[in-house]
Amino acid sequence: MTQRVEEVPFEPRSAYRRRSGRISEIKYSLYLARKNPLVLSGSVLAIGSILIAALSGIIVDPRSWAFQYPPRYYCWNNPWINWHLQNIKPCPPGTPFYPLGADAFGRNLLNMIILGLPIDLQISFSIVISAFAIGVALGAVAAYAGGLIDEAVLRITDVFFAFPGLVLALVLVAVFGRNLTILTLAVLVVWWPLYVRLTRSQILAEKEKPYAEALKAMGAGRLRILFLHIIPNSIYPVIVQATLDIGGVILTFSSLMFLGFAPSPLTPELGKLVSDGISFVSQAPWLVIFPGLAIVLVALGFNLLGDGIRDILDPRLRR
Amino acid sequence: MKLYEYVIRRLVLMVFVLLAVSVIVFVITRGVPSPTYALAPYITPRMTDPQKLQTAVGLGIAEPSCPSWVDFTQSAPGCITPLYVQYFSWLKQVLSGNWGNSVIPSIGVGQSTWGLFVARFPYTAELAVAAALITVLFALPMGIVSATHNNKVPDHFSRIVALVGYSMPVFWLAFILQIIFVIYLTLTIHGNTFGLLPSSQTVGTDCALCIPNPGNINTYTGAPILDAILSLNPAYFWDALLALILPAITLAFSTLGALTRIVRSSMMEALRQDYILLARSKGLRERTVIYRHALKNALLPAITITGLILATLLGGAVVVEEVFSWPGVGQAALDASLFLDINFLELYTLVTALIIVVANLGVDVLYAFIDPRIRY
Repeated sequence: MTQRVEEVPFEPRSAYRRRSGRISEIKYSLYLARKNPLVLSGSVLAIGSILIAALSGIIVDPRSWAFQYPPRYYCWNNPWINWHLQNIKPCPPGTPFYPLGADAFGRNLLNMIILGLPIDLQISFSIVISAFAIGVALGAVAAYAGGLIDEAVLRITDVFFAFPGLVLALVLVAVFGRNLTILTLAVLVVWWPLYVRLTRSQILAEKEKPYAEALKAMGAGRLRILFLHIIPNSIYPVIVQATLDIGGVILTFSSLMFLGFAPSPLTPELGKLVSDGISFVSQAPWLVIFPGLAIVLVALGFNLLGDGIRDILDPRLRR
Repeated sequence: MKLYEYVIRRLVLMVFVLLAVSVIVFVITRGVPSPTYALAPYITPRMTDPQKLQTAVGLGIAEPSCPSWVDFTQSAPGCITPLYVQYFSWLKQVLSGNWGNSVIPSIGVGQSTWGLFVARFPYTAELAVAAALITVLFALPMGIVSATHNNKVPDHFSRIVALVGYSMPVFWLAFILQIIFVIYLTLTIHGNTFGLLPSSQTVGTDCALCIPNPGNINTYTGAPILDAILSLNPAYFWDALLALILPAITLAFSTLGALTRIVRSSMMEALRQDYILLARSKGLRERTVIYRHALKNALLPAITITGLILATLLGGAVVVEEVFSWPGVGQAALDASLFLDINFLELYTLVTALIIVVANLGVDVLYAFIDPRIRY
């Protein structure tokens, strides 16, 4: 039985009614982010490392990387940690303070880590952004076009998935030499198929929704529908994966550097610092511990951030 | 379609994928701008120019009608065999089993590439299987505990452990473990200081927990632990086990996080289902509900990932083998890339690609067997 107009209760515009839309969704996401300890700690670590990397030229004198001092003795000047090791001679009173220790050439390890951080972060950001761009574009076009293009892109990603992580990078570096571009390309080639697959599965689900059909009925071109409407709606899991992958790429890249494929002997990259320190590991273990700890903290920050973003964007936990 | 039709279709696809992988590797290693690149390990400075040209012709890179070595290096027309001709002759040679001789100094000079690979593969297999076993052994309980005590202390603990393991570089963890167990934790016996676990060997003989003279074994499979079991030598088995612990834990730690996460999410998904509510309302013990009902359904994605993990470990243990000097295939591949042994690199790439594709296929077929809802 239909209600008459007078019987429908009048709902005033209540203060709790939220307008729907992208801005309020973003505000809600930021509110959830403030409450989530994962995102908070992850973003502290991640943004902290980016800040340190960006300001590394100001914090630390880049010339301190060069071989300034003649090879002397190991100097451990930190009063809070005593390593109880045999071959350490005490620092003379005039030596500057080494919070994390020094290596065999007298270089301050903290300085070296701060100088090495921007290299890692720059390269991993460029790799992830390139893989993201290529993967999303290719996957979206393949999923939306369907048919032969879809098959072809799927087979190509199958071929690249068959290469395990470091193998193709080894081959590429062996053949093309050791400059930074080749290293970046070597890692990029391994990471991009994941984004193609992920985007493709998201868009395959998204393009069947009614609004895509409505847009086509309104006369929008296919490219416009794809890039302006479908991709922004389906891109959140891919963004989560990209954030997680920043940490993963840092690990892969520093592993490559550790194995000895550094472009020049003077790159203060974190993996290379570890590999330089392993010949002194029984006498000066801090040379191995602290650069690796820096890598762990950076990767941990981005992994926490990615996990936290995934928790925030999980539709079952919102509202 | 039936299961066997699906398998046959996937096998045919597998052959094409492997061919594509071989083309890619071939083009990368031999199609590089300079034709003398692939010849680098075979040409010594003391060879005369005609000798160098003969080597190039023998390797199939130069045409016999090339007038001189200088013409070849300057890529004169008619001197370099076209890449597709090189590829097909390489394919014919490889399919008949001839992968050439290895040029890696100190491990492979004079040995055939295939022989070197086969000699080293059991070590890598042993390491990968041990790491996969440790991963499964730790990740399953952690994932189940995480899912059943959701958002409480055990959940947070195992999530943190998984996350930290996932964020650690493998080489760093390897050195931390070595610093702790070999350098720091030492026992002094008769005036000699020994670390607790052996370092950089496949069979530890000079560590505190090792048995000093383990005796000999017969080589049946090539992997030390299996050979020790088959030769009935418990001392050797103990020493091989001690040497295996650290590398296997290092490898396992990085995959532990992924597997824990997947077990946790699939268990939580399974525990949300209606039949669990029915089982609890029937009055079943919680343990029966979790293990007999929820776990069986939750294990499917975990099985998939375990198969893929095993395949990835087989191919990707390069860093661990390098750090622990484990004489496996990964360390040989690293040396091959440093000394430009292209045959070994091609063989390694193709075999690891084969393993990964076969593992994918096996896991999909297993999935179809176990889950009656999946129909191809």
